[in-house]
Amino acid sequence: MEFGPIFRSLLRNRARVILIVAEVALTLAIVANCLGLILDTRAKLARPSGFDDEHLIAIYSNPFDDRLRDPKLLNQLVDQDRRALAAVAGVRAVSETGLRPWESSGSRTSVRVPGTHDEPVPTQAAQADPGLFDALGLPIVQGRDFTEAEYDHGADAPADEVQPVVVSRALADQLYPSGDAIGKAIAIADESERFTIVGIVDRFYNPFGEASEKIMLSPGRSAGFDFGAHYLVRTQGNPGPLLPQLEKALLSVDKGRLVRLRTVIEDRDEYHGRDRLLVASLDAVMALLVLVTALGIVGLTSFSVAERQRQIGTRRALGADRLAIVRHFLLENWMVTSFGVVLGVLLAYGLNFGIVTWVAGAKLSPATVATGALALWAIGLGASLGPALRGSRVPPAIATRNV
Amino acid sequence: MLLYNLRLAWKSVRRYPVLSALILLGIALGVGVSTTFITAYHVLARDPVPGKSESLYYVRMNSWGAADDPFLRTRTPPPLITWRDALELLKSRIPVRGTATFGARLTVFPPGGASPLRQRGRLVTTDFFPMFAAPFRYGGPWSREADAQGATVTVISSALNDRLFGGADSVGRTIRVEKAELRIVGVLAPWRPRVRAYAPLSDPLAAPEALFLPLALTASMEMRPAEMQMDWRNPAPGEEKLPYASRLMINEVLFMELWAELPDAAAVRAYKSFLNAYVAEQKKLGRFPHPADVRVTSLLDLLDEWKVVPPQTKALAAISLLFLVVAALNLIGLFLGKFLARASTVGVRRALGASRWMIFAQHLVECELMGLAGGCLGVLLSLAGLAVLNRVYGDGPDGVPFFQLDLPMLLAAVALSLLAGAIAGLYPAWRICAIPPARHLKSQ
Repeated sequence: MEFGPIFRSLLRNRARVILIVAEVALTLAIVANCLGLILDTRAKLARPSGFDDEHLIAIYSNPFDDRLRDPKLLNQLVDQDRRALAAVAGVRAVSETGLRPWESSGSRTSVRVPGTHDEPVPTQAAQADPGLFDALGLPIVQGRDFTEAEYDHGADAPADEVQPVVVSRALADQLYPSGDAIGKAIAIADESERFTIVGIVDRFYNPFGEASEKIMLSPGRSAGFDFGAHYLVRTQGNPGPLLPQLEKALLSVDKGRLVRLRTVIEDRDEYHGRDRLLVASLDAVMALLVLVTALGIVGLTSFSVAERQRQIGTRRALGADRLAIVRHFLLENWMVTSFGVVLGVLLAYGLNFGIVTWVAGAKLSPATVATGALALWAIGLGASLGPALRGSRVPPAIATRNV
Repeated sequence: MLLYNLRLAWKSVRRYPVLSALILLGIALGVGVSTTFITAYHVLARDPVPGKSESLYYVRMNSWGAADDPFLRTRTPPPLITWRDALELLKSRIPVRGTATFGARLTVFPPGGASPLRQRGRLVTTDFFPMFAAPFRYGGPWSREADAQGATVTVISSALNDRLFGGADSVGRTIRVEKAELRIVGVLAPWRPRVRAYAPLSDPLAAPEALFLPLALTASMEMRPAEMQMDWRNPAPGEEKLPYASRLMINEVLFMELWAELPDAAAVRAYKSFLNAYVAEQKKLGRFPHPADVRVTSLLDLLDEWKVVPPQTKALAAISLLFLVVAALNLIGLFLGKFLARASTVGVRRALGASRWMIFAQHLVECELMGLAGGCLGVLLSLAGLAVLNRVYGDGPDGVPFFQLDLPMLLAAVALSLLAGAIAGLYPAWRICAIPPARHLKSQ
């Protein structure tokens, strides 16, 4: 291989070398950091909720008719609503609950094992009605569901009765690490209320506050005149087409209210909206950047080929075949790109340090940097292939002309 | 001379159309990408209430109960304050203006019996409007007396006015909101502040509410806060039978934002000592069990503390600036190639008496011309980019786009493209004018 001559010719074209090296290095630094940000955000976007998101509809019913200020009437309305919703073909389960998947709101409290002075554990808290577990697609993996009597009592349970709760695996494991949480007691941090764990649900994630994987569910209902009633409907198939029918079903029960229906997927997309925008922006910046850099390498290599027509002609006249010419230019470019890649790896870590220190973000993983480096190597070679092939087609006769 | 150089530049563009198009595209992409993301950052980070934000202060105090609960982080003040504290502190005459607010969801009944609407509303005192520079189209804020008497009045957004009254001057008309008949005293002009500065805790990038009501209506209209509420106290026996709004008022529920307009440092100090005196007094009544911790934070510091501008926006702006650097490097190469390709013409001009300086100027003019043209194209690209961002972030209900290219950013974009042209052109122009003319004349 002609490393020596190539290296010496590079020294004679310092401007071009510096330009390509700088371009490749900066591009690699940017691409690696973009990739890092994209992978972090993608991981966040891909996080499963543990619910049957694709088949869920969230319904908000806000009464405005003064009749419905009577709690008894409102309670009847909820029962009628549930029956009407369940009667719509394609509906699998219905629940009245304040828990709304993929909404960054809710209710939270903190709990501990009663009688201890352990750090209280922050958790989400919500009320469950008989349809909730079925509606969320959240099976009880250990213990049991609430009994009918427990559901009936709800918040009106006698004060001396120990109230049952169903908790998520994450909460159970933190309070009772040995895995024997069923039948054990938990209490609100100030011990004002005590509960017994009767069941455990497995995976749970809702993006509310710090308590996102922990939840404590008590039997009860959340509807009220000023708060409205919230329903979760789980469908058998695509939930979108059912929205008009469900709305009609509710309004035929009572018109004295406002009804708003959304698929949970809409809520999830809205929740992820800004992160998805970030990923799309970074994708666009990265693609355009690679395009600009590739064009730059094509341009610079083309000029270096055009500048050296006579040298190529001389080499061809002295017996070098076309492959040797292609190899020369590819090797030359490979060397320059390699300098750029090495420098770029350093720059990538430098830039990442800056971003982590002054902005926010995660540290770069070596795999991400390696991926970026390989990609740029390939792009550098690919971009110089065209000009190199053109150079190889320079006829040997050109060496003898124009002297 | 400039005209002559411009003509030469135009000729050179026409001679190398493909290369010139590549150069143009390179500048346009660099300027377009960086302008888009720097504008996005600039818009989000911009002072939300220009000219006023220095004198707006947010009030926090540690009113947590005695229970030492790390989840509630009782060692630092909560981000919101209680009704009773807010109302008591509003009485102070140290601030020039002051307001206490919370958000609510309201059912609005359009006149004429159309089906009701669910709208976001906010309960405020009249000082809210001048403090946060809310622009009025018709009418104005209600009076301080209206605040004191709990008058049934309201200020509505321009979007709601369009929807209910077709954009006509609706001042003096009455709409039903929940159970109350409210008289409209003011209609806002389209209003889309970058940050909902008065409520930075709950969805700060959302558009302002559709209705503003006097805070004094909270009890009579049985308002229920729709944004964050924190409650650490267990209800007293029988309390649960009371309407929700009454419970809020006697309770320790944290749900209000309290803002004070303090003109200078002396006023801030005076206000702080007033707050400390208030806490000391409350301690005698058995409240505020923790050490007094009173915070009076300026609006800009608060936005910083609560990271209202997503930090990724800053990273994107930095990355897009680097993009411009790569684009400029790329241009150096392209200009270098283009200029050296016609070195022989330069040789002829030099031999005919053109000075080095003239050659240098000629090439720099060409670079700047390309820079400017590419910059214009780049501004168009960034308008398209911002339109895409606006579609995701959502225009305000008033139809005011969230991200807009303002004059300073437009000038910055033009300056950036000229700078890119100059930086990219300097070295190639110098190289070409440094070539001795004889070498190129010989090979003719």
